Formats: sequence, structure tokens, C-alpha cells
Amino acid sequence: MPYILSTILFLPLIVAVVMGILRVSTHTLKVASLSASLMVLLFVLYVVTQFDSSQGMQFTYVAPWITSYGITYFIGLDSISLVLLLLIAFLMPLIYLAIWDEERKGYFYNLLLLQTGVAGVVLSLDLILFYLFWESMLLPIFIMIGSYGYGMRHFNAMKIIVMTVFGSMSMLLAILYLGYTHFSTLGWWSFAFSDLSKLIFEPQTSILLAAGFLLAFAIKIPLFGFHTWMAPAYNSSPTAIVVVLSAVMAKLGVYGLFRFSYTLFEAPLIHYTPYLIGLSLIGVVFYSIHAVMERNLKRIFAFSSGAHLSLIALGLFLTNIYAWSGGIYLVATHAIASAGIFLMIGMLGKRTESIRVADLGGIASVAPRFAFFFVFFALAITGVPGTGGFVAELLIIIGAFKYHFWVGVAAATTMLGAILFIFWTLQRTIYGKTQTQTHRFEDLDSIEIGILTPLVVILVVTGVFPSIFLEFFDATIEMGLASLGGVK
Amino acid sequence: MIDFVMALPLALVFIGGLALMLFSLVKRVEIRNYNLVTVAFLAVALLLELIIFQSVDRGYLFEDIFAKMFIVDKLSTLFDILFLGGAILTLLINNFYFKSRDYYNGEFFALLLFSIFGMMMLAHANELITAFIAIELASISLYVLVGYNRHSIRSSEAMLKYIILGSIAGAFFILGAALVYGVTGSTYLGEILTFIQTHSNQDMTLLIVGMMFILITLLFKVGAVPFHSWVVDVYKGAPFPVTMFMATTFKIAIFALLLRLYLVDYAPFYAIFSDIIKVITIITLLGGSLLAISQTNLKGMLAASSIVHVGYMLIAIYAVGMGSDMAALAIIFYLISYFLSAVGAFGILSFLASQKQTKGLSFNDFKGFAHERPYMAAMMTIFMLSLAGFPSTIGFLGKFYIFISAIESGEILLAVFGIIIAFISIYYYFKLIALMYFYPTTNPKQKFPITISSILMGIMAMMVIWGGIGTGLIPFFAGADGLLNIASEAIKMMGQ
Repeated sequence: MPYILSTILFLPLIVAVVMGILRVSTHTLKVASLSASLMVLLFVLYVVTQFDSSQGMQFTYVAPWITSYGITYFIGLDSISLVLLLLIAFLMPLIYLAIWDEERKGYFYNLLLLQTGVAGVVLSLDLILFYLFWESMLLPIFIMIGSYGYGMRHFNAMKIIVMTVFGSMSMLLAILYLGYTHFSTLGWWSFAFSDLSKLIFEPQTSILLAAGFLLAFAIKIPLFGFHTWMAPAYNSSPTAIVVVLSAVMAKLGVYGLFRFSYTLFEAPLIHYTPYLIGLSLIGVVFYSIHAVMERNLKRIFAFSSGAHLSLIALGLFLTNIYAWSGGIYLVATHAIASAGIFLMIGMLGKRTESIRVADLGGIASVAPRFAFFFVFFALAITGVPGTGGFVAELLIIIGAFKYHFWVGVAAATTMLGAILFIFWTLQRTIYGKTQTQTHRFEDLDSIEIGILTPLVVILVVTGVFPSIFLEFFDATIEMGLASLGGVK
Repeated sequence: MIDFVMALPLALVFIGGLALMLFSLVKRVEIRNYNLVTVAFLAVALLLELIIFQSVDRGYLFEDIFAKMFIVDKLSTLFDILFLGGAILTLLINNFYFKSRDYYNGEFFALLLFSIFGMMMLAHANELITAFIAIELASISLYVLVGYNRHSIRSSEAMLKYIILGSIAGAFFILGAALVYGVTGSTYLGEILTFIQTHSNQDMTLLIVGMMFILITLLFKVGAVPFHSWVVDVYKGAPFPVTMFMATTFKIAIFALLLRLYLVDYAPFYAIFSDIIKVITIITLLGGSLLAISQTNLKGMLAASSIVHVGYMLIAIYAVGMGSDMAALAIIFYLISYFLSAVGAFGILSFLASQKQTKGLSFNDFKGFAHERPYMAAMMTIFMLSLAGFPSTIGFLGKFYIFISAIESGEILLAVFGIIIAFISIYYYFKLIALMYFYPTTNPKQKFPITISSILMGIMAMMVIWGGIGTGLIPFFAGADGLLNIASEAIKMMGQ
């Protein structure tokens, strides 16, 4: 089935366009979006069954696009992209269910477009195609934050688009230069990732090009120093977008780092590894401290998300097999856990009209089921043993020790900081005395439990049987590390 | 006989203009019918040009009478097609607008046709004096059109400003042509080149000064900084259809001549002119961006941003001089992409203006537009994204080619600068998108009007998307690939 990836990619877009032209009612649109996302999930599961984890790129499909510049429609996946694709496909139906009461059509149209954009980023193997999806996935997010968000939504929407576009423009320049270098050295145009990775550059050019890509990814992750858009954007976003931002979008930065930066410019990246590791470690500490100072749940977990993404980035920068496996594993488990926590914050916001920590407290005594799920997801984020996060963080710490003793120590202690503030937050929101806002807190209903249970199951399974999943992307990671030229 | 066929589109437009002039003596013809007749003339001419484009090689119109004054090649035919297409789109999209204002009459359409006739002459001009006459013919008609709203002081002010500055700029051209003639003894493009090549020992200062004067006129007409002071006022003062026509079609016409001149006659002096063009490019990009950021009126923003787009094309003109093979293609592609997106954006503005009797449209008039007219807002978003160079639209590919040509010519810093400017432009284009989507509206939701204008704008929005993502997979329907091939064919013929 050569077209299966294209179907996965474009089905949501086509549904959105057809529904838009037919001007269907809100209800039909909801049903159509949900069924489209379920179909995509089915297709992705089918791909998983057909996937051979010992191989590299699979399901590749090439079609000419702009022939005079050698730009192609080139898609395919390896196990890392498959993990991300699976995440997206799995989370979308849950998001639709979570916003099922929503009457504004724009929500569904934008989410459909977003799914295509995000899946495109993961699947593209041509840099121009990648850039196309990388930019276009911003648009639904921009419109949704601005239209349906909270607080200073207009300003924050503009802020996220301006900052991320700045990053992508620097990447575009690097892409253009790469393409031109390919043309001037080999005599024919190509923007295919596999062709460009064979190019060899002068160290200086290589550093500049790597910086171009790194800037885009660092803003998206966000690494320390590039994070100013993060907390405001999370805070202003409607629930659906927060989930996408933290569970998927931020991970795409890491994915880009893994897929493009480490294959195209391994030399400068490895040369600057100490600085990048330092940046990530500072990030973990900084975000943790920042999270303690925040007064509102969304911002707290935004910074917690930032801390864990810095950790994932740290795993990638360490470039050994433990750290990489841990990093990729953490991508998946943190995505699920943070999707859970942000969905729950959305539910909480609907009930109490406030997500300020000061207004909350004592939820456990009025709504035990809510408290159970909330605590579970929060602990899953911290990486409590028994959840996937534990395995992933352990692997990263092992990798850190393997890289250097003190880096290991620093990683382990900073991670502790990231855990502590979550406990403190839980103490203030879930336990303690009830407040006026939480006095009549309704417990989760069956639909909400239905949305959250799959997430819990996955987190437990990934925690108890990590070896199944880790083996799944072993081959890809080994291949990736081998191409780095003997760095262990 | 073959000459006759080649000249037929030109003749048709000219005759159409004369006929409409006579027609307009009859008072009782409806404005819509004038519009239809004009479009009919233009459509027939367009059809002929499309046929000619398939078979044209390189020749001269009525060589026995005009000598080599009028050249006919793929490039000129391609530009003719763009002018005619542009005029037809302008007229049809504004069909609604013409009816909503009382000052339009038959002469408006006659003048428009004369202006197009001038532009077509310009595309065919192979000699400086012919080019001058063509520019003046197109410009003088435009001067009148700019001031067509007799009741508006702003419109008259715009016309006066444009006439005075435009005539002075025109004088530079004729002076430049005189100087060139003084040195080379000819005004034919080919002969000038031959003279330069055969007299390489001679002092060429006067010739260079003359060519500089000609360049100044052309830069003035496209509105490059520092010759831009008229742009915003004139665009804002002119009636919508005229602004649209000037910002797109007329600009393409000037670039047609600029491209031809720069590719042929300026070639021996690229070393001198490249530096000048580079400086002008940089200040045009910067100045245009600053102007565009500060505009509160939407028409003004589009006018100012058109200066920025000229700047992008000048990057490619510069790259032509630095030996980039792709640069000339990039200009043509960019012209097409800018044309599609700008005509669309102006079209939606004029549609809105025809709905209300407001004088200017400010940004605030667009608050909540997406909730009032979702489809129109979606189209406007597409056009804005394309102007901003967002990927998946034709505007992105246009910029892609421009930047690649800059990198190819070895000027990476210019590409960096262009990308920074593109980044700045995100701000003022996204401001409109933000206004349309982020604010609630007090007006009720309105149905999508099924009229010629709205359907055409819908088609153009699709073309913008198709131009950006269209593949070579579907034959007979030019996507990004097809357009590039057409442009490259046209340029190849030139080089022979």
C-alpha cells in the first residue's frame, strides 16, 4: 500500500475542506472529525503491524513536485517518526471527545488542519516539504489561541507566531543554502534529506547552518533562553491547543533535532555538546524554579513541560545509546502524561472557572476519582516507578553518567527539583481544605473517565514492560548513532 | 499575413478603446455593458495571445514599416498575456464596485484599454523612443484614471501628485535616451549592445549616465525607494479598481521593460549597475517595510507592502547582474505570484468598499470579519499568507526562487536580509488575519454572494494555493512547475 502514509497525512485536511464546502452543521462536523481521527488511528495501527523495526526508512513514497529544483513530495517513516505519528493519531480522538460540548465550528476545522500539519512534519523527508508543514501547522494554533483563548490571547498568539516564524526563517535560509550547495557541488538540485546528508561542509559554514536549524528547534522545544513564548502561550490556549502544544508540538522540536540536526551537521553539534548540555541542565533548573513561583496550574505545568523537554533534549545531546533511548522514550511517555494533565486542567477549569492554585484545594475529599487521575498523571510526569517516565528518566541519567560523572550528578539532582514542585502543587490543589470554588466540585463523569483511562493504561504498560517498546526503536537509534561516526 | 496576426491583439485593444470612446457619447448605455464589451475585447485578444504563445519564435512586427521597433517573442507575449489577464480580472472583480459608485462612465473603460495598449507596446518595445511613447501612453491614461473620482479631493490630489512627479520622471527617460543616442548613434536595444561590444576602448561615461537616467524612470514607475514618495498617497487616493490595476498590471509592465533592458543593454555594465541596484534593493526593502508597518489604512498597507515586493524583485534583478541563471525566471514567477495574491487582496477590499459607502477601509473595519463572512475571510487569509510568503502558497515559492537566485549569485547576505524583511512582513499581514478572526462581530452572519467577482476571487484563492502546492502530476494545469516552465521558455528565447 504505497498510499497509506499519504492517506494518513491528508485525510483530516480533506475532511476539513469537504465539510467546509458543504457547510455542515456543528454536529455533523464533530462526528466527521472524530471518525476521521479514528480512521487515521486505524491506518496508523495498520502501519505499526506492517512495520519492520529492524529496518530504517520504510513506506517511502516519492512523487515529483517542483522538478526544476529537485523538490519532491518525499515521505516515509522510521520507528522514531512512527512513535510520534502514533502519539498524534492516538491523542486526536481523545481531544475531540474532550471538547465534544464545544459549539464553535472553528475548533474542529483548525484541529483537522493541525493534524495534517503535525503529521506532515513527522513524515516529510524532503526539507522544503518539511518546512511547508513546519510553518503551516502554526496557523491553526495561531488562530485558535487568538480566537478561543484566554487572557491576553491576541498578544500571545502574535508572540508565538512571531517567535516561531523567526526560528523557521533561519532554518529556511539554512535549507536554501544546503540545497544550493548540493547543486553547486553535484550539479543537480535536490532537497531530499537523504541526498543533503551526504554533503560535506567547511567547519565554519557547518556551524552557521547548524545554528540555523538549531534556532528553529530550540524555540520550538523551547530550550532555556528561547522560552519566553511558552508560558503565556500555554496560559492563553484553550485546552485542545495546550494538549497539542505540550504533547506534540514541543516534541517536534526534539524530533527535528534528532532527524535533521544530527544527520546533517553532526560535527558542529558534537563539538558544542558541552554547551548544549549545559543549556539543557540550566533549562531544567530554571523551569523548575520558575514553576514553583507560578500561581496558576497551566503555567506551572507549562514550565514542568519545559523542564522535561530540556531533559529530553539533554538525552539527545548526550549521544549515547542509553540517553537516546531514554530521550525518545520520554518523548512518548511525557506526551501521554502531559496530555492527561492538561486535559484534566481543562476539565478543572470548566468546573471551577479558575485554575489559580490559591482558589483550589481539598479536591480529593469531594471528588476522589478526579483526584486519583490527577495525581496519577502528575506523578507520571515526575516519573514515578511503574510509569513509563521512570524508565525513560533512568535511562537518561545512566546516559549522563556514562557521558561524564558530574553531568550525571547534575542530571539526577536537577530532575529531583522537577519532581519536588509537582508534589508541592498537588499538596496545594488536590489535598488540604476545600475552598469556596471547590466546595461543590463535581467528580469525573463516565465519558471523562473513558477519555482518561486509555492514557493511564498506556502509561502503566510502558512502565511495566518497557523492553517491548525500547526494542522497537533500538535499531533506528543504533543506526543513528553509528552514522555519527563512532561516538559512543 | 503572419505579422497581421501577431499585431491583432494590440490592434484589438486599441480599436476597443476607440470604439468605447465613441460609445460613451451615447448616454444610456449601462455601466455593466461597457464592462462586458471591454472584457470581450480583452478576452479575444487574450485568446489570440495564448495561441500566438504556442507558436511564436522571435520576430519583428511589420519590419518593412517599423523596422525593428516592435519585437515579438515569447517574453513579450507572456507579458501581454499577463496584462490582458490582469485587466480582465480587474474589470470582472470590480463589476460590483463600478455599479456602487456614480462616477464611472464609458471613458473609464476606454482609458483603461488605452493604458493596456501602452503596456503591450512596452512589452514589445525594442527601441528606446518606442518604449518612452509606450510608457507615456500607459501613464497618461493612468493619470486620468487615478483622478477619476471627481467628487473626492484626495483623488484629485493623488492625480496631481502623480502627474507632476510622473512627468518629471518621464523626462529623465527621454534625456537618458538622448544621451544613449548621442554616444551610440542608435536607440535600438540590439544596436546599442553591438556598439558597446565593438567599441570597448571608448569612454562610456555619457552612455552610463544615460542608462542611469533610464533606470531612474523605471525605478520611479515601480515605486522603488528613494523614488517611492508618491506610492502610498496615489494608491490611497485612486479608486479601488485603479489602485488594483496600478499595483499589479502596471508594475508588471514596467518590469517587462526593465527585464528586457537589463538582460540586453545593461549586460556590459553589470559591474557598475549591480552595486547601484544592490543599494536600492536594500533601502527599498527596508523603507517599504517601515512604511507598511506604520499604515493604519488597509489600502495604504497594501500599497506600502507593494514597495517591499518590488524590493524582492530587485534582489533578483541584482542577481541577474551577478550571473544567476535562475534570476530572470524568479522575477517572472514572482510577478505572477504577486499579481495573483495582490489582485485577490485588492479585490476583497473593493468588494467590501462596494458594500458600504465608506471612504477608506481601516484595519478596524475588518474586526470580526471572519464571523461575518467566513469564506471571504478565508480567501483574504490565503492572499495575506501568500503575500507574506507563507509556505503552501504561491507567494512562498516566489520568494523561494528569489532567495535561491540571491544565494546562487553569491550574495548570501542579501538573501539573509530578504528573509529578515519577510519576517517583518509577517507582522503586518498577520495583523489583518488576527483582526479578522480574533474579534467578535456585531453584524449578522452573511451569505456568500454568488457573483462574478466573488467566484473569481474564489478561483484566484485556489490558484494561489495550487500555485504553491500544485505538482507536475496533473498535466494541462500549470502548477508551480508549469508556471516555471513557461517562464523559462520565455527567457530562453530572449537569450538567443
